[in-house]
Amino acid sequence: MTLPDLGGLRRVCAGNLLTDEAELFSYSCDAASGRARPDVVVLAASAAEVQGAVRWCAEHKVPYVARGAGTNLSGGCIPLRGGVVISLARLDRILVVDTKRNVAVVEPGVVNLRLQEALAEVGRFYAPDPASYRVCTIGGNVAENAGGPRCLKYGVTSDHVRAVEAVMPDGTLERFSAEDAGCDFLSLLVGSEGTLGIAVKVWLDILPLPETLATALAAFPSLDAAMGCVSDVIAAGVLPRALEAMDRATIDTIEASAPAGYPRAEAVLLFELEGSPTAVERDLGKLRALCAARGATDLRLATDAAQSDKLWEGRRSAYAALSRTAPSVSVEDGVVPRQALTAAAARIRSIAAEHGLKPHLLFHAGDGNLHPNIPYDSRDPEQCERVRRASHDMLKAYVELGGSISGEHGIGVEKRPAMLWLHEPPALELMRRVKRAIDPDGLANPGKILPLPEDGSADGVPALRRRPPSDAQWSLIERVREKAGAKEPLFVVGTRTKLPAEMAEDKGEFLTTRPMSRVLDFDRANFTVTVEAGILLRELKAELEPEGFYVPLPLMPGTLGGLLAVRPWPGIRRSILGLRILLADGSFMDLGGKVVKNVAGYDLQRALLGSWGTLAVILEATLKLSPVRPEIPNELPKPELPQFGRWHRKLKEAFDPDGRLNRWR
Amino acid sequence: MADSTAGDKALPAGLGLGRLLTALGERSDYDAVSQCTRCGYCAQACPTYTATGRESISGRGRNQLVRGLLEKRFADPSCTADALSTCLLCGACTTACPARVPTADLVLEGRRLLRAGHTPWLAQVLTGLVFRRRGLLVFLLRWGFRLQRWGLSTLAARSRILHLLGLGGLAEASLQVDEAPERFLFEDLVLDPELKAAAESRWAYFAPCGSNFLHPRVGRATVSVLKALHGKGFFLPDSCCGLLPYNYGDLNAARDFAKANIERFEASGCPEPAVVVGDCSSCVAFMKSYPQLFLGEPEWKSRAEGYSSRVRDVLEMLPLERLPALDFPGPVTYHDSCRAKNAQGITAEPRRALRALAGDRYRELPESDCCGGAGAFAFAHPELSDRVLRKKISNIASTRSLVVAASATSCLVQLAHGLKKYYPECRVAHLCELVAEGLSSSTAAPKGPVS
Repeated sequence: MTLPDLGGLRRVCAGNLLTDEAELFSYSCDAASGRARPDVVVLAASAAEVQGAVRWCAEHKVPYVARGAGTNLSGGCIPLRGGVVISLARLDRILVVDTKRNVAVVEPGVVNLRLQEALAEVGRFYAPDPASYRVCTIGGNVAENAGGPRCLKYGVTSDHVRAVEAVMPDGTLERFSAEDAGCDFLSLLVGSEGTLGIAVKVWLDILPLPETLATALAAFPSLDAAMGCVSDVIAAGVLPRALEAMDRATIDTIEASAPAGYPRAEAVLLFELEGSPTAVERDLGKLRALCAARGATDLRLATDAAQSDKLWEGRRSAYAALSRTAPSVSVEDGVVPRQALTAAAARIRSIAAEHGLKPHLLFHAGDGNLHPNIPYDSRDPEQCERVRRASHDMLKAYVELGGSISGEHGIGVEKRPAMLWLHEPPALELMRRVKRAIDPDGLANPGKILPLPEDGSADGVPALRRRPPSDAQWSLIERVREKAGAKEPLFVVGTRTKLPAEMAEDKGEFLTTRPMSRVLDFDRANFTVTVEAGILLRELKAELEPEGFYVPLPLMPGTLGGLLAVRPWPGIRRSILGLRILLADGSFMDLGGKVVKNVAGYDLQRALLGSWGTLAVILEATLKLSPVRPEIPNELPKPELPQFGRWHRKLKEAFDPDGRLNRWR
Repeated sequence: MADSTAGDKALPAGLGLGRLLTALGERSDYDAVSQCTRCGYCAQACPTYTATGRESISGRGRNQLVRGLLEKRFADPSCTADALSTCLLCGACTTACPARVPTADLVLEGRRLLRAGHTPWLAQVLTGLVFRRRGLLVFLLRWGFRLQRWGLSTLAARSRILHLLGLGGLAEASLQVDEAPERFLFEDLVLDPELKAAAESRWAYFAPCGSNFLHPRVGRATVSVLKALHGKGFFLPDSCCGLLPYNYGDLNAARDFAKANIERFEASGCPEPAVVVGDCSSCVAFMKSYPQLFLGEPEWKSRAEGYSSRVRDVLEMLPLERLPALDFPGPVTYHDSCRAKNAQGITAEPRRALRALAGDRYRELPESDCCGGAGAFAFAHPELSDRVLRKKISNIASTRSLVVAASATSCLVQLAHGLKKYYPECRVAHLCELVAEGLSSSTAAPKGPVS
């Protein structure tokens, strides 16, 4: 693109601009296969410089992309429309490590490993550990909502971000915290791939280092047996810190290049357990029995660090071993409900075979997250095309199996077409409106996440099998549709225990969710439940707990929908995997799904938490269940109606442009 | 999605090696560089990237630029010159690389492509002096050092004597060097009656230029250690490994050095199990890589393999059970010379040796990376080199060490310079010097060092 005079930009970053051909070339790729060249690179050294650069871009209508270590696997940090790359690599200070409040405050350029090292010195760790943790930055982790093996027990990045300070597309510097009253804007920013703002300071939860660690490796005669064992282990209430699986092709490659002494079996599982010595001992005992019951042929246990390292060595070197077999490795990423892993693996193998490719499967098995790795030669256009087609077919298969198109790599540019396969048109349209409301000029990392016309359509792609609305849902949908043309206000209520007086007006239509009170899908193997929003929390818990399933939500009077709407406790975000919502215009859509890791577009399901019915009607929610009783607060005061700020108003523009739902004064 | 389609992706014949011996086997330059999957795992290992945050001067950045050069993607190929010339060639990226892409070798190929057959005058002069006019080199260095010792180095610099001789760079170099030896190492060693090749010889000492001309004390220590720990051995005089022309000059000159060393060794009558031992890790690493110079010459390749398989870094020659304890007055640490750690994979041996010597006085140095010396790098890129050096010295200071051990000439020069400037309480020594000190003070030692 033709850039305006750079004088102003040069001033905001103290002259740290790169414009030479070789420099721009170096910022035109990440770890995925796409390329796009920036016109200028800013090496920002402070939040103020980032803000200055964004302001300059906003003023001159120049697109920009923030970049950390450039390890993105979906093309997220290449500047598709040129413009400015804002490098955050120099914002690399760890500002605070507070072991009393268990929080670390860091700049976005801090490398994950550096943070882990600093925390280890004070007996703490930060849970998310993406494979690239030695080089990737916290800013990138936040932008992509990064995962890693430890997600099984601890959840993904958005479960660990307490607050961010971000430079927003309008050039303002804003702080968003999980503690903020009102909607969960923080969860919307995390995983938004730099399209809604740039985090320049991040508050992270840190955890005490575990007392004891133990590792177990088990070999299985079939992938099926191994995956069965994974489900058994979770169901038995053993929650490993990590539960990794690899298939025969991967094991063979590891053993050929960097032998780790792994058994040549059809599947190998690696468990990492943590806790007190007695708890670990007890879990190891259970593991031993569960593995044996599924026909494990080889079981190796390690309780000291050196032996554990030895067992992990092969898993850790798997990517290296693969990368030596061909010039390029396509690292794919998908996620399915856990019990569909075997079926997904079979589909991946047959798709790869159709395209003449050989997949090597690595799984974060406990999460249902698969990484088929496909070695190929990126210099051969024909091979590239085959890999692209195979990857797309695999993404379609995950959708068909009830999963999602990305567990932790993000959408970026490479998975943009797949957004059409996963999401219904109303959900995509809502995401577009959210993007437009926050970034009206579309300058923040343009061309990412949301499908463009060139991405085709979803025609002919087997859609995610969505449950049609229940009768109770339909009747609410129809009532809203009848009123769609009218101007009268709509009030969303459950048992009316929470709607504040200042929200209720004399005239208007009350939409009560109470008739929607059924459990729609109790998936015991996947540890999820989908329930209608009008169910009383008391009833929900009464239904689940006798069977040994726990939902980590506080027990408050009233409905589930009411609890989600007022968000009395930030921790509820961890339980929300998906929502079905109804907008004031009568359209309804599913957000999220029933997989525990899902970075496929904006996390609107979490953003809606705490929105007090001002944005949409929650029809149903999909919740993550636990096999053990969670330690969460139950006695919570009735929350006050918050002051809704301008970011909430921007979301209101996107969700409810006519301002009909739950008005506030 | 395809990265490139057609075209000849090789250096013009004769400009560079064309083919490399990589960890994955013999590969063309283009295949070797295409093995970079752009994962970026090397970035945090790269001293120039971590010092600046500039991706063009990281391992991935440089690989992509070399690949771009081969794919003729640049309107002006010289735009890559800065990124390529600032590479320390430390090889830390290759150690971190999942596919072991040989970035340092590729950067050198890129530099050769940009030089297009032209050898810089300084490299030409030095190569000529080292290889063909050794007498003149000795003469010039001796007088240069005398002037420096007599406090006349500034005068020498001002009088531009060295500049007149075409040795301006050498004048700069000598000003950075804090030592000015009176006698060169080879002058002592040729006179040592014990150092003669014989049937029972277990080792041959290869005197790198650094030990020969700058730090004879290091070479003396190495020889005394080899005598004490490994019995009889001999000295291979008049040698230079050829790394200088390999890095800065022309490949044929490097090949000439290699051939001369191979021939000299073959003619020395060194018996089968004996090994060639050097005490500069840069030279040793290069000698271990001689076969790569002869991929097009099968006969020389096989002779080079024979030679290289018998080359050892003196770090590999320190059997623990025979190492004495040395009473250090304070903490001691070890700096990994890049060409020991990354090019040869030697990390455990020197640490074990230093632990044996220093016991609990040994401290592990945080961030084991390049010191910024890297041959002529400190002279070519003083500002960047100093940034890397300051980080290194602050890491050394964080261990409160009084001695830091290293194993390559560049590191010895660079660390001495940095310590003097930023942390004068500490001195740098070649690991062999410490072992020799221990042996000479220990009664158990079979022999003391040579005088």
